[in-house]
Formats: sequence, C-alpha cells, structure tokens
Amino acid sequence: MQSNKIIQKTTFYFFLLILLCIWVFPLLFLLFSSLKTRQDFFGNPALSLPTSWFWENFKEAWARGNMHTYLKNGVIICGLKVPLGILIEALAAFAITRLNIRHSNKVFMIFLIGMMLPMQAALVPINLAMSRLNLTNTYFGLFYVYLGFGIPFGILILRGFFRSIPKEIDEAARIDGCTNWKLFWNVILPISKPAIATLVILDFLSTWNEFLLASLLITEDKMRTVPAGLMNFFGDHGADYPLLSAGVLISVIPIFIVYLVFQKYFVEGMSGAVKG
Amino acid sequence: MKTKRLEAPGGIFRYLFLLPAAVIYLSVIVFPAFYSFYLSFFKWNGINPNKIFVGFQNYIQLFTQDQVFLTALRNNIIWIVLTVCVTVTISLLLALLVNQQFKGRTAVRGILYFPYILSGVMVAIIWSWVYQPQLGLLKGLMDAVGIANISTAWLSNPSTALLAVFFAALWQGVGGPMTLFLAGLQTIPADLKEAAFIDGASKIQTFFKVTLPMLRETLVIVLATQIIASMKVYDVIYAMTGGGPANSTQTLSTWMVSQTFTFSNFGMGTAISTIMVAVMMIIIVPYVSLMSKE
Repeated sequence: MQSNKIIQKTTFYFFLLILLCIWVFPLLFLLFSSLKTRQDFFGNPALSLPTSWFWENFKEAWARGNMHTYLKNGVIICGLKVPLGILIEALAAFAITRLNIRHSNKVFMIFLIGMMLPMQAALVPINLAMSRLNLTNTYFGLFYVYLGFGIPFGILILRGFFRSIPKEIDEAARIDGCTNWKLFWNVILPISKPAIATLVILDFLSTWNEFLLASLLITEDKMRTVPAGLMNFFGDHGADYPLLSAGVLISVIPIFIVYLVFQKYFVEGMSGAVKG
Repeated sequence: MKTKRLEAPGGIFRYLFLLPAAVIYLSVIVFPAFYSFYLSFFKWNGINPNKIFVGFQNYIQLFTQDQVFLTALRNNIIWIVLTVCVTVTISLLLALLVNQQFKGRTAVRGILYFPYILSGVMVAIIWSWVYQPQLGLLKGLMDAVGIANISTAWLSNPSTALLAVFFAALWQGVGGPMTLFLAGLQTIPADLKEAAFIDGASKIQTFFKVTLPMLRETLVIVLATQIIASMKVYDVIYAMTGGGPANSTQTLSTWMVSQTFTFSNFGMGTAISTIMVAVMMIIIVPYVSLMSKE
C-alpha cells in the first residue's frame, strides 16, 4: 500500500518533469542564446550556459534591428485600440442588456457571428478600401480595423458580465435620478472591473500579436508593429539566433508586464465568459 | 403577437449606445465580407477598372485545377483533426494535472501558459531554431541521448514539415484551453467526486462518469473555438515555412493570401475565403445557437 503510493507519486513527478522540460527548454534556449556571443553560440551545445553575459545582442536588436520603432508603434496602436475598443463594446453591451432595445438577442447574435468569421473573409475589401482612402501605412487605418475585429469578442464577454448584475441596481439608480449615461458610467462600469481587466489582457495580447492585417496594411518599416517588424528582422538576420532571440525577448517584455499586472483577474473573467 | 415592453427612459436616444459598435462592425466586417463574396464571382487583378464576371468558374478551377488549393484544404483538415485529438486532449490532461495539489503548482501553471501570450511570429522564430538541423536544440538533445541518426531537417523535409509546425503550435496553444478547462473544473462540486469514490468508482471511472459530463459545456466551447482557430491558422505557418517546402504546409489562409496579394488573382483569393467561411459555418451555426440561448 505504502510503496504503491510512492510509485504513484514518483510517476506523477516524472511526467511533470518531462512536460516541464518540453515547455521550458525552448525558452531557456532562447534566453541563453540571447546572452551569447556568436562565437559562443556557434561553438557550444544548444543548452550550454553563456560563457560570459553578453548584452550587446540586446543593444544591437534595439538599435540596428529597429525594435525601438516596432515597440513604439505597438504601444501607440494598443494604447488607442484597447481602451477605446472596450468603451465602444461596453456601450453596446450595456444597450443590449439594460436598455430594453428591440430584438436585443438578435442584435447580439449578429455581433457574435463576426467572432466566428475568419478575418480572411473581409481581408480583400478592407485592403482595397484602405488603399483607396490612403489609409495604408497609417495608425488610424490599422486602429480602425482592429476596433472592428475586437467588437464581437468584447461584446460577448461584457454582455455575459453585465447580465449577472442584478436589475434592482438599475431601479435604485433610476429612482436617484440617474440618466442612462450616468447609470452606465457611474454604476455599471465600476462594478464590471473584473470583466474589463480580462478584456484588457486578451485585447492587448491579440492587438499586440496581430500579424496578418499588420503585414498587409503596413508596408513602411517605420510604421510596422511588433510581429511584422520581427518578421522583417527574422528575414534579414535569420541565421543569427543570438541577435534574433534578443529581439524576441525585447518584444515580449510589454505583454509580459500586462499579463503579470492583470493576471489575477484572468481565470475569473475567463470562467465568466464560459458561463456566457 | 405584441407584448408590452418596459420602456427604458431615453426613447430613441438609447439606440445611440449601440451606434458606434454597429457602424464600425458593419464597415469593418459585414460589408467587406459580403463584398468579398461578390468578388469571388469575378476574374480581377485588383487594379483594372473592369472586373470580368465568370460565375462559379473560380470555384470550379480551385477544385479541379489548383493542386495547391487541394493540398491546403487537406492540410487544414489534418490540422483540425490534430487539434481536436491532440491539443484538446493534452490541454484537458494538463488542466487535470495542475488542478491537483502539489508544490510549485502556480509556477507550473505559469510556465505551461506562458507561450500562449507570444505571437505566432515569435513562436516561429523560437521553433525554427529548435528544429535547426546543425545547431538546433532538438539536434542537441538528440545528440545527448544518442539518437541523432534519426535527426533530419525537420522544416525542409516535406514529410515532417507540417507535423513540426503543428508541434510548435501545440506548444504555444495549450495554455488557452487549459485555462478554460481549469475554470470548468472549479465548477464541479467536490462531494460529487467523493460520492463516486465511496461507491467504489476507480479514478478512471470517476473521470468518465463524473468529471467529463460536468465539463460538457466547457468542452463544446473549447472544441468550437479550437476548430475555428484551426481553420484560420496563418502566422506560425507563414513565418516558419511560408507554406513550403514544395507547398507541403500551405493552408487555406496562406494560399488565400498568396493568390490575392502575390499573384493578384483577387477572384481566386476571395473564392478561397468564401470556402473557408462555408466550412466554418458548419461549426458556427450550432455554436452560436448554444451560446446565445437564454
């Protein structure tokens, strides 16, 4: 009985260890390589520790690899898109759940279909329209299109959360003389912080990481966001892993910070979305 | 049939709350999607003012003459099957694993989740070098274990390339469904499992008779979102192989983009995206009806 338990525990930790190796090794390889000189990288085994800590790769990726430009563009696009997108989605979810608009369930379904459509279904006309309106290679063009693609998921999450807020709160607020806007801004939004935090993470991640539209609507290097910029960097320095890995690590930092800050709301918000 | 509604104050103005989302949604997704469908019936290079109406010819040509399209379609189906069988199963197993009590649980969860926050391009860069035939991590590990003789140029060998890319996508992708399953597992009351244990059910029986049925709703959501994501898969393939070697890793997405923006066959490109939508509709319709049910 006792030895049986020990065997069980040993197999459990053994599997856990193998799993962790699969998940951690590529990341360690990335980290170690970024700190190696080229000589060290090409001369020693993949998972060896750097012989000395070599920070030049980061400086080079930052300056010569243009990572500072891509990061700046990513921050501008996310800084505009995430808060404004969530505001617009929240307004719509508020109308759908709390203003007794006609056919609110059908309206919601129409928005939801957009989540299931692949971006490719709208890609060609978007591209045509953007070049006709001279909006390729502009922040506004990319920002506007990202707003559109974020709407279905944002409304899904926020509607799920708003529905769980009791209607009595609205009645009390109305008796106190709240207008629709005040009810939305002063009552419903503050209660919805957990759902909003979840959306901030997910929206930031998907905006920061979006590649397909960014690579088609942006062709000038100085306007590129991080994934398209990294792709360009990869094309130019594909054989130089120490430099590439430094570039990847630099571009992970902002999403990692957002993830750490909003992480505690994450599982909570996700389960809210599951319950719909 | 008329029902009396409780009127919210604000009258017609309350529709203003819906306006920004509706305008942006219609202009970015709905109208372009319809226009894209319309374009799929034309032969057009994207510049010429005259589009030539060709009826269903683009579709017929795709299915009868475009070998790459058929490969792409096959690859998408392989990708969906692998995602459903491998990614979903592994993420469920991982969720069960990290739902146990053990030391360092939070750290393990964080590590398994971490690749999920990376972009497809980053994953492609990382794994291109894992697979690199001379200096890559995989070659290094195989050397260490002494099985380097079965090592190959994983990404430039047409018979291994798709699986190699899929494994990278698996490494990246399990975090999301794992989190959803974890959230689902928290909703299962502990006394249900206890009751099963007292009745003498084995762990495996408890899983199939108690846990899995209770996770039904989560499972539907995970499956639907994973299948949809598999239909659209683009970034990691484009950045790792560009659809090569010899088109062996093309998917509908990558081929649609090449047809449209590399070869200027706007009619063919939009026909491919219409086919993508058609395949996805089969999954979308039951999903939407499930999600929007009161």
